[in-house]
Amino acid sequence: MFEYPEGLYVDVRIEEYNYTTISFKKNTLQEQKVRENKGAFIRVFDGQRWYYASITDLDNIQAHIDALAKMAVPNPRILEHPIVKAFEINRDTVIRYDKQSIAGIPVQEKQALLEEFISLMSDPAIVHHASYYSDERAVKSIYSSKGTKVTFDKQNCGIFLSLDLVCGDNRDRMAVVKGDVFFENLKDTKDYFAAEIEKNIQYTRDAKPVTPGEYPVLLSPLAAGIFTHESFGHKSESDFMVGDEAMMAEWPLEKTVGLELLNIVDDGMYPGAGYTPYDDEGTGAKKTYLIAKGKLTGRLHSAATAAQLAEPLTGNARAMSFAFEPIVRMTTTYIEKGDRPLSGILAEMDRGIFVDTVNHGSGMSTFTMAPARAYLIENGRITQPVKISVITGNVFATLAEVDAVSAEFEMHTFGGGCGKMEQQGLPVGFGGPYTRVRKLNVQ
Amino acid sequence: MNQEFLALNSKQAAVRIRNTGIEAVRVRDIINKGVRVYKDGKIGIAGSIGDVPDSVLLDNAIDNLSAGIEYPYSLSGNKTDHRDYTAGLMSQEELLGHAESVLDILRREYADFDFSETMSFNEVVLHMHNTEGLDLKHKDAYFSLGLVLKEKKSANLMDGSLSYRGRRFNPEKFWAFNRLFLEANRRRVELPEGDILPVFTLGSLAVGFLTDNLNGERYATGSSLFSGKIGRQLFNEKITLEQNRDPRLANQAFFDMEGVVMPDDRCVMIENGKLINVFTDKRNAALYNLPHTGSASGDIDGIPELAGAPLRFRTDSRNLEEALDGRKAVFVWITSGGDFTHDGTFAAPVQVSFLFDGERLIGKLPEFTIRSHLNKMLGDDYIGTFDNACLYYSDFPTQLQGCYMTIAR
Repeated sequence: MFEYPEGLYVDVRIEEYNYTTISFKKNTLQEQKVRENKGAFIRVFDGQRWYYASITDLDNIQAHIDALAKMAVPNPRILEHPIVKAFEINRDTVIRYDKQSIAGIPVQEKQALLEEFISLMSDPAIVHHASYYSDERAVKSIYSSKGTKVTFDKQNCGIFLSLDLVCGDNRDRMAVVKGDVFFENLKDTKDYFAAEIEKNIQYTRDAKPVTPGEYPVLLSPLAAGIFTHESFGHKSESDFMVGDEAMMAEWPLEKTVGLELLNIVDDGMYPGAGYTPYDDEGTGAKKTYLIAKGKLTGRLHSAATAAQLAEPLTGNARAMSFAFEPIVRMTTTYIEKGDRPLSGILAEMDRGIFVDTVNHGSGMSTFTMAPARAYLIENGRITQPVKISVITGNVFATLAEVDAVSAEFEMHTFGGGCGKMEQQGLPVGFGGPYTRVRKLNVQ
Repeated sequence: MNQEFLALNSKQAAVRIRNTGIEAVRVRDIINKGVRVYKDGKIGIAGSIGDVPDSVLLDNAIDNLSAGIEYPYSLSGNKTDHRDYTAGLMSQEELLGHAESVLDILRREYADFDFSETMSFNEVVLHMHNTEGLDLKHKDAYFSLGLVLKEKKSANLMDGSLSYRGRRFNPEKFWAFNRLFLEANRRRVELPEGDILPVFTLGSLAVGFLTDNLNGERYATGSSLFSGKIGRQLFNEKITLEQNRDPRLANQAFFDMEGVVMPDDRCVMIENGKLINVFTDKRNAALYNLPHTGSASGDIDGIPELAGAPLRFRTDSRNLEEALDGRKAVFVWITSGGDFTHDGTFAAPVQVSFLFDGERLIGKLPEFTIRSHLNKMLGDDYIGTFDNACLYYSDFPTQLQGCYMTIAR
């Protein structure tokens, strides 16, 4: 397909996107956008340095390969370079969604579905609202000078409702979101949206400022997913570890970091936002246990980091789009469910905080979570809604504080965008069981 | 039928850095196009990534009229304004030269740290024209350095950052500041005594919350904290906050996404602490009978919308050392993950900060949490907004803002 220059490793990632966005403010249509975009990212490696180009003129890929090759220094032993040796050679086509392709559904049908949800927002406490439908179908093809030739598709769609709420002196902006890989399944989510809208109104009406301090915190599956992603997931991205002896010493494989009940997984085959059957350098997806029975058992890798740390490939080299090179990222990351019912875990808590929904989270040395809806737990019951600016915990310490995970489990596979340095908003999946952390700082 | 054309051409040459060495060179040249058509009070849109012919996009935009999206507002027109803020171009070789030079010094003099991420040179041309005689062009180019700093003995993901953005890059000035800055990173100091301390930041911690609540749509529909308060004294009398699109102050176009150019590129929102305006686009100004402030945002290939506005405090204080009166302040370098609740209560963990005497960063502080309320931060506890004359992280005129805050250790 391409003429690869001698003495260099080359890969080409071609991406074709078809996406729709529809938005309403109250009952007025604001936007109905259907787009098809194409682009490519080309990488050339000479064993010393990488050379990248991001382009939209797909007719000239060969010319861009040749231009990058001129910047590189041909290396007759390039195939023996550890990174190049680490690359898998895959030849595969994984088209899962062509029969129920989101791209094939008329935009009018998508708009009609969204309009059905607008009628859910009639409560007078909702002083303004905006409604959004969005979907994206992508077909990616990856070719390499080692012989990889893979093509796969992925898709996702969802509905997002934004509510401006005023209840007496209390005001808030809340959101409800739900997604699926199939459009048809969105039609069954109206009851979920109605219940969440009602919870948001109740919360806004009754929430009182929290008394700052240290609390045991029960995390909903959504909050547990964000906790997992921010408090530990980023730590498992091994590009942070390459050349970093202190980090390697702090996080050696087999180190006990939590109780036996704690198992954390990253799985690129899980359907939804994080689905990546081949990563953006053509490595097949793997189900990677990052923590098993409380012990650190794995890390996330690109080919480069796997070669540098002499660990197996995991299929986690991901790019936000054809504008960027792949870097080590999560796919769908979650705590595995336990065997205890939520009711039993809750009953043990005399006092604590229940985090139901979350606006955002972050993870450096301190991980943070800004709850949207949170409640006091008193005598084993979820009671008073409380306003919380931020919940924080030390990344190194909090995993060891997880002391209960429920049998109930939910996954959220739409609306999760992960930011890492210059690549912000990469779709990832997250979720988990109800998860109790013995102590976190609540402000 | 009126027609409107937008094009954003973004070129970038970037050097990707890992472990204080050059890992990769990346080039990017992407054009985003949008076409809008207006007919009988309706708008149709089309767009592309890549150089799709205007005629194709025009046909697609005409098709999109059938969606029936209302836009009964007059187009901006009869104005030609082309501005070029490019101060000089940097070739790929020059960029690599700067990168190698910076990394060489970092490797030799600061081997106890590790640096990763990106240095880049960026060129942007945004062009908007229509059949009503509007022809606006904004051209700019700038160098950007953003390096994550990691202490080699630390097991954190990151321990700080080196940053710079400007239309020019002056290595002498860069190192004059950053040598002191990196020394301050090496020097551990303790927080001063007391639960309430003066806290300074680059820009304002409150600007995101103010952007949410000065949104004209939220104001008019009652969900803004400031709803019904135009004309009322909200904050300290020193405070003046304006929408400011002056490209001399930041990398930003001088017009909004409806092609509106405000006089002097500015519009006052809060004057001497009193709420004067909320920001609006054409749709929301008409819908809610509010003054139009030229604040439309949105995608190149999207409908203009009211989302945010480039808000900037006016400098209101001159002498930082005098304001501190011999006290030591906390200078927040990185705070991530904190937030305001909707009633204005604020709390945020501070991941990287320094002890600050009004002129110098003295040493690095341990992590802590800051707490306050919007009304206190911009009210009685407000210290001032100062021109930044001591921290060289940009060649744009930047500001430091200070207020007293509760420190949770």
